[in-house]
Amino acid sequence: MSASTELTKEALGAIAKAHSDSELETIALDYLGRKSGQVTRLLSGIGQLEPKKRAALGQAANEAKRTIEGALAARRAELEGARLADIAETEAIDITFPGAPLGRGHIHVLTQVQRQIETVLENLGYQVELGPEVETEWYNFEALNISAGHPARENWDSFYFTPELLLRAHTSPVQIRAMQRIKEPPIYIITPGRCYRRDAPEATRLPYFSQVEGLAVDRGLTVGDMKGTLLFMIQSLYGKERKVRVRPSYFPFTEPSFEFDVSCGICGGSGCKSCRHKGWLEVGGCGMVHPQVLRNGGIDPEHWNGYAWGFGIERMAMSKHNVDDIRLFYESDLRFLDQF
Amino acid sequence: MRVSYEWLSDFVNLDGIGPKDASEVLTRLGLEVESLNVIDLSEIVVGKVLEQIPHPKSRNPLWVHQVDLGDRVEQIIAGAPNAIPGSLVPVALPGTTVPNGKLVKDLNIAGYKASGMLCSAEELLLGDDHSGILILEAGKPGDSLESVIPSQATMDIEVTSNRPDCMGHLGVARELAAGLDRPLKGDFMPAFTGTADPPGRDLVEVSIDEPDLCSRYIGGVIKGVKVGPSPGWLQRRLRACGVRPINNVVDITNYVLLEYAQPLHVFDVKKLGQGEGGLPEIHVRRAKAGERLRCLDGIERELTAEMLVIADAEKPVAIAGVIGGEDSAVTEATTDILLEAATFSGPSVRQTAREVGLRTEASARFEKGLPAELALAGARRAASLIAELAGGTVHREWADVYPRPQEPVRVRLRPARVDEVLGVHVPLEEAESILKRLNFHVRALEDGEWDVLPPVFRLDVTIPEDLVEEVGRVYGYDRVPPTLPGRRHDRWNPSVPSLGRRLDAAREVLAGAGFTETWNPALVSGRALENLRVAAHAMRVSNALSDDMDTLRTSLVPSLVDVVALNRDRGRSEVRVYEIASVFLAPVGDKTGQPEEPLRLCAVATCGAEADSGRKAFYAMKSVLDACLADLGAPICTYQRASAELFHPGRCAAVVIEGRQLGYMGELHPSVLAAAKLEGRMIAVEIDVEPVIEAAQIPRARPLPRFPAIERDLAVVVEDHVAAAALQAAIAEAAGEFLEQARAFDEYHGPQVPDGHKSIAFTLTFRSPERTLTDAEVDKVMADIRLSLEKRHRARFR
Ligand SMILES: [Zn+2]
Repeated sequence: MSASTELTKEALGAIAKAHSDSELETIALDYLGRKSGQVTRLLSGIGQLEPKKRAALGQAANEAKRTIEGALAARRAELEGARLADIAETEAIDITFPGAPLGRGHIHVLTQVQRQIETVLENLGYQVELGPEVETEWYNFEALNISAGHPARENWDSFYFTPELLLRAHTSPVQIRAMQRIKEPPIYIITPGRCYRRDAPEATRLPYFSQVEGLAVDRGLTVGDMKGTLLFMIQSLYGKERKVRVRPSYFPFTEPSFEFDVSCGICGGSGCKSCRHKGWLEVGGCGMVHPQVLRNGGIDPEHWNGYAWGFGIERMAMSKHNVDDIRLFYESDLRFLDQF
Repeated sequence: MRVSYEWLSDFVNLDGIGPKDASEVLTRLGLEVESLNVIDLSEIVVGKVLEQIPHPKSRNPLWVHQVDLGDRVEQIIAGAPNAIPGSLVPVALPGTTVPNGKLVKDLNIAGYKASGMLCSAEELLLGDDHSGILILEAGKPGDSLESVIPSQATMDIEVTSNRPDCMGHLGVARELAAGLDRPLKGDFMPAFTGTADPPGRDLVEVSIDEPDLCSRYIGGVIKGVKVGPSPGWLQRRLRACGVRPINNVVDITNYVLLEYAQPLHVFDVKKLGQGEGGLPEIHVRRAKAGERLRCLDGIERELTAEMLVIADAEKPVAIAGVIGGEDSAVTEATTDILLEAATFSGPSVRQTAREVGLRTEASARFEKGLPAELALAGARRAASLIAELAGGTVHREWADVYPRPQEPVRVRLRPARVDEVLGVHVPLEEAESILKRLNFHVRALEDGEWDVLPPVFRLDVTIPEDLVEEVGRVYGYDRVPPTLPGRRHDRWNPSVPSLGRRLDAAREVLAGAGFTETWNPALVSGRALENLRVAAHAMRVSNALSDDMDTLRTSLVPSLVDVVALNRDRGRSEVRVYEIASVFLAPVGDKTGQPEEPLRLCAVATCGAEADSGRKAFYAMKSVLDACLADLGAPICTYQRASAELFHPGRCAAVVIEGRQLGYMGELHPSVLAAAKLEGRMIAVEIDVEPVIEAAQIPRARPLPRFPAIERDLAVVVEDHVAAAALQAAIAEAAGEFLEQARAFDEYHGPQVPDGHKSIAFTLTFRSPERTLTDAEVDKVMADIRLSLEKRHRARFR
């Protein structure tokens, strides 16, 4: 038996007995190490041999090296397999133990709902317009056809600073300001923001609230366009099964004017306790912009017409998230706010 | 407005249209029925009392009746004695639920069987009389009570302020008739029935001093009336509409008000003061200072010169359009009456009603602005009812002072406009038919346009769009298909993200850092702002609902301190909250202009009570703010020692970006916490966000470094007053081009450093973009830095 065969056999025996990667590492070094490995040393006197023998020895050494390397790899794989085979037991954890609370905060539910509404309407090409909350009598009332003494005026009982200055009762003044600023239609805007009315706080209303109003001014707009826009908005927010109905109503700034209702999400329109057996939930008001209001915004009603709508963000959030008391939104109890 | 279904059927045939159907039609027409109340009398039967004996055994007075129910006789026991033999009575048999909600059962009372109940008017919800059994005027035993008294259905309708004509049954019926396409019975203008001599205008002197406030006054004289109770049907209708019957004359004025929407008033002519001509006088004038009037509700009211009154020759006898006076009222003894049908200005009545604190059925209608033609219709209708039901003699040619005659309004409509606005094709004939059903007069002109004359009671119709609305609502908006607008635009505005949406980047940082967003009321207590000394720019509401909401906030901090207090009271001690909202700053001196409304971000976080806890929380808040600003795309901000209201004098920084001060960050002043009864410490930051957005830039990618960095730590011992930022600046200046970053990471006070000194540890990162630096190079720079710090800040090194 040649020296190389002897070495190989010896190495294979050691490999078979090894039980860890480090043992295998030692064996590898012992036999195959570059300077002093036993297989390497076989070749130490190779220079003095005649060419024929030299070739034979070289070949034998290489073969031994390959065999040992192969055996090392195989044993490594074997050991790794054995190790992974029982981690199911050795490394098992109690997966029912809870994770630690993340300690993160929450974005206000009204911000979230407002953003959803904005996104839906931005998809239709509407852009957000903002305006002051302390408004002049003209922008809040006169420009919207609600002059002093108007019978409808009592619906917008307002907080005043001076006879000329008040907290806006709706975001409609922003519509007027936007028309004056943009000047030339097409105008497609939405006006989210805080509003104020002199109503004592209760579960269904507050003296402060937030609205989103929308305004489209273009050529040849119709009641059908207004209905479609509302339907698109409602279905995008609440689901495709929802229906919208417009009911004639009265606002001084639109003609014709409507209330718009959404089919009840609980009973689907057949009537239940939560919709007071009407099948519909009142959402907001809408209508075709009154020609005088267009004129007040600097738009010629001979060439352009428009539609507008508005509703409370709180009411949307209430029906979306099943909130029964509007005061919760502004009370800032974290037990409520952290639910969203 | 409460409307009786049965009353409506006087004017429109409602066969096959139940109360619920009628409600739906009206709602779709714009008269929203808010609730429908049905009193079902179909289960109650008519019975005839055959025999009535006192209960022999009961200790309470009870009566045992034998009642004929047509096909049988039942024994029924009642407490009231008025169902004497021969009476027709309403009977609720066992198993029936009476309208007031009571379920009737078979009973045995002291050995006597009782198989049903005799009902009072109150139990049937037909009135408030519970003193005895309701005795019927007619009926056949065994028939449903409905054969005698129709089931009652009432609707509460929300009438919009432009439609005072619908504040009466006739107006509502007209809508219903148009919606159902059925004819309306009866004319708007009834015939005048007065024939007696002498002419009414010779029996009373009427004058109007204020034609702007009273455009018409009709005063009709009816003599020889017999004041007494109204017939049952009329009382029932009034009750159904929530009006209490008084006597036939007064009831008729209320009846006509509920039917025509025209308020009326009646005076006892003999109680009106006479003038020099010997005639009773009526003057429509303003009240004089000091005049008083005892009103029909028994309250004496002081009148002011702003109020319009009806006066006789001497004194006020009624507050115009609101309420009458007690002294001139109709009583049982009255025989001759003056019937008033007038038209008062809406704003004037509204203001007067508000001032006297009384909103009546009359004022609620006048407020909306009634047409003067309605006064005549109402007067005529009342006159014929009074003649019929109270037996009076109506005199001919009444006084009718009409200084401001109602001008007819004509509206031009291009019929195609209907389709253009609605977005649906309404056939011309149908549009015309709808307008005619609503009593509009339509005349087609040669050019194809329509010349439309609205009925006299429709003052709300003045422009073509109003006509489109009339057609649309009757045609049915459900028939308008929903569409989305779309045409080729040759002009547009590029889309820009809204301010709110841009700020969402900060919201996300704050949420990640444990802060919850709040929305707090902008109206706060002005007193509280004053106590905190942040009221200098505050704007105070002149008509606040309460003093805890009387002023616009000038800072978001107090709101958030209150949020902390509220949550603490509810069991949460650690609170991190923020708000993004406008504050309101009146210009100093001039509080009449619109205020500035800067949009602000304010965050607060609670921390422990120890000084060091506050210090750490300060730096933690700084990290949060830096991250917010970074994610908003703003340039690096600097913090400059500052003092500000609400903040701790030693722990407050002004936040500055590019030389512009955004606001403050710091620990809140102990007195702010004390005012909110809070313990511990609190860190707050409040900044204007619009400048941040203005300064924001799109982040640009920097190439990743190609050569390794060398890091060195440096612990600098300096006197306490030396700021970390100053050391940092000195390091940066001395270090030269290879310093990539110098970051202070620890501040130490204690035995290892002398008294009055602190040690600040920096990590310095050196790197060259062109090659790998050598230790020797960095050592040299470090030596320069030390030298500079020694020289400029007398630093030592640990
Ligand atoms: Zn429902």
